[in-house]
Amino acid sequence: MSSQRKSIQIYPLNRVEGDLKIRLEIHDGVVTDAWSAGTMYRGFENILKGRGALDGLVITPRICGICSTAHLKAAAKALDMISRVKVPEDAMRIRNATLMVEMLQNDIRQSCLLFMSDFSRVVYQHHSLYAEAIQRYTALTGTVFRQALHWTKKILEIVAILGGQWPHSSFMVPGGVVSLPSSNEIMQCRYLLNSFRTWYETEFLGCSLERWAEIKSLDHLETWLTEKPTHTHKEMGFFIRFAKEARLDEIGRGHGHFLSFGGLDLPADTAVRPLAGGNTLIPAGFMAHGQACAPFSQAEISEDITHAWFNSQPTAHPYEGATHPYATGSESEKYSWAKAPRYAGHPAETGPLAELMIAGNPLFTDLVGPKGPTVFSRQLARLLRPAVLMPALEQWLKEIRPQEKHFFKQYERLETGEGHGLIQAPRGALGHWVKIQDSKIAQYQIITPSTWHASPRDKAGIRGPWEQALIGTAMGHPEDTVKVDHVLRSFDPCLVCTVHTVQL
Amino acid sequence: MTVRLYWIQCGGCGGDTWSLFNAETPDVIELLNLLNIELLWHPSISNKSIRAQEQTIEGLLSGEEKLDILCVEGSIIRGPGGTGMYDEAYGAPKKNLVASLAKQARHVLAVGTCASFGGIGADGEIEATGMQFHKWSRGGFLGEDFRSKSGRPVINLPGCPCHCDILAGTLAALVTGQEMELTGHNTPLEWYGMMVHQGCTRNEYHEFRVEEKQFGEKGCMFFHLGCHGPLATGPCNKRLWNRRSSKTRVGVPCFGCTRPDFPQQYSFFETRNIEGIPIELPDGVSRAHYLAYKGMAAAAAPERLKTRKTEI
Repeated sequence: MSSQRKSIQIYPLNRVEGDLKIRLEIHDGVVTDAWSAGTMYRGFENILKGRGALDGLVITPRICGICSTAHLKAAAKALDMISRVKVPEDAMRIRNATLMVEMLQNDIRQSCLLFMSDFSRVVYQHHSLYAEAIQRYTALTGTVFRQALHWTKKILEIVAILGGQWPHSSFMVPGGVVSLPSSNEIMQCRYLLNSFRTWYETEFLGCSLERWAEIKSLDHLETWLTEKPTHTHKEMGFFIRFAKEARLDEIGRGHGHFLSFGGLDLPADTAVRPLAGGNTLIPAGFMAHGQACAPFSQAEISEDITHAWFNSQPTAHPYEGATHPYATGSESEKYSWAKAPRYAGHPAETGPLAELMIAGNPLFTDLVGPKGPTVFSRQLARLLRPAVLMPALEQWLKEIRPQEKHFFKQYERLETGEGHGLIQAPRGALGHWVKIQDSKIAQYQIITPSTWHASPRDKAGIRGPWEQALIGTAMGHPEDTVKVDHVLRSFDPCLVCTVHTVQL
Repeated sequence: MTVRLYWIQCGGCGGDTWSLFNAETPDVIELLNLLNIELLWHPSISNKSIRAQEQTIEGLLSGEEKLDILCVEGSIIRGPGGTGMYDEAYGAPKKNLVASLAKQARHVLAVGTCASFGGIGADGEIEATGMQFHKWSRGGFLGEDFRSKSGRPVINLPGCPCHCDILAGTLAALVTGQEMELTGHNTPLEWYGMMVHQGCTRNEYHEFRVEEKQFGEKGCMFFHLGCHGPLATGPCNKRLWNRRSSKTRVGVPCFGCTRPDFPQQYSFFETRNIEGIPIELPDGVSRAHYLAYKGMAAAAAPERLKTRKTEI
């Protein structure tokens, strides 16, 4: 039997934020190589240069319509650092609460509107749960699609109460937040969260957060799945059963390197305990495949442009990086508008699974094991992250003391200096690196989570996370790209972030 | 009869789409059902194979399939050097596809400030522009004379993002054939015929010129913190955001995101002024009278405002 080689291109991949093009080399129906390309450049960093010191607070949320609060927080943190202001504790709580709400929204929308929607594709017509998948996830009519739309919209009202609107507000500033929520407004936020939690527990998880927290291994998960009808039949159980039959635990492995910048700063006086030590709820760290987690240092980050359409120095730390777009088309080794970020020279994946791995979560440590992550473990982490965040979010809302009105501290200086704001955004590690000179922005560099994931090859030829994760994916029919779509979507791709912001 | 709607995303962040998802009574699903809108394609919602999507485009461009409403989100990217290759689709500049679809459409909506006026990137290297305006000037991508098949110019629905009620209301007006008067910037008068400032809970502070000089105070942000509330049109303080609040109500200055010059070339968070009086005054106001009026208003300010006792 002669072997068959074929090269195909996937564009446009729908239900991702922004435009993504993937080229695949297929050998006997199996992906043997992949190239990931962002197809749009928006030049945000060059737009920011020369603008007022605070202008990143208005411009950078506009990078992304689904994670604008995350960009706002990274921008505000960079300015906190430059102005050396100490943010009041209640301002930290409001910043955390609003970002966490955005994460809840993102995790549910990504799961129910974007990822699981693929289960309703006709390619799954022989799957035993196909009819049910159609009923649940069909765009606009599916029962779960409608529920997810409703509850994500409701929970976002918290951001509007505390920050004016979602998306695209600018309520975080160096020194805290501008808003002065009243006791009643904080109560409204708590009521909204309570309703959302009730929905998540009864309709999504099928059990209480406390019951779920008892699951510490794959065996526990199996036991839980058949313990009660709600465990089996609500969203979490349905996802697990569908994924198992579709063998999503066998595809999308990738490099298996995990990165977290650390997220959600803990106020000094709080009952919220970090997931794994440190001064953030979500710990920072880098975990190379199969190794122990190493402490995180932002100095280890660099970006490589060997294969990206830019023509500045080949590798640079974000404080030194430049973005000179250089469109050579397909004639050279360059093929993407996304640069190649590296941590200590390694590509890395980030997001909910990376956070839980670095936090040492026993279930995910067991699931990932020595073989590395898969579509299943990555997506399960996203379905589950609301359960991890909600108790801390409830506590922080409870701890805010509106009567003291201590939400902002006037900063002294913002004329000159450099600072970075590194956080965990809904999709993972997000960094803003800012230099201010004479009260103007002299340099602004942004690396988004999807820039890490969409990375093209670097100068050593090492593939980016998506490219690597696609290798070995079995395609049924060449036009049946559903498995490839699952692999990509398990990273929650957001191309508006990636390609819109490539360096200046 | 179904109304066939195609949504194309260009140089944007997707924020107008997510803003639309904020809609309630009707929500986005009910809206489409009530208006009998068939969504031919939306990049964040559709679940069509690549081949099916190509067939949809082919059908629309050949005229075999009718296109009732084209929604464009994001700016038209023309760079580098007019090629449009900073934003490509199917190996060609995406702007070409937008132009071809616009020719076939009965109505064209520019959803958000980027699609309307160029927005983010209009002054940048990507050479972004709006569908039929470039900032304040008529023309933009399609040119001043463009008319869709209905005889209308591109209807601009600016805002960063566009408020969900504006898009929902405009779709309803088009589908049901209601009258829709447009302003000089081709925005529907119903939503852009009022200033953002209208309905702001800080209006009493504005009236008596009790000013906020640093963040987190009760006071008006127009005089020091660069608030564009009286300088920009839109129903932010009438319709509210997420049914709850608005930026100005919580203490974030309005950045004038519905204006053709957004993002403005001057710094945010500070008011450009001459001797304490803003350079830019509310639309149509006489400078001399305004000076006198604000001086008297400040003198007449009641104690409860001066001591910031009045809630916002």
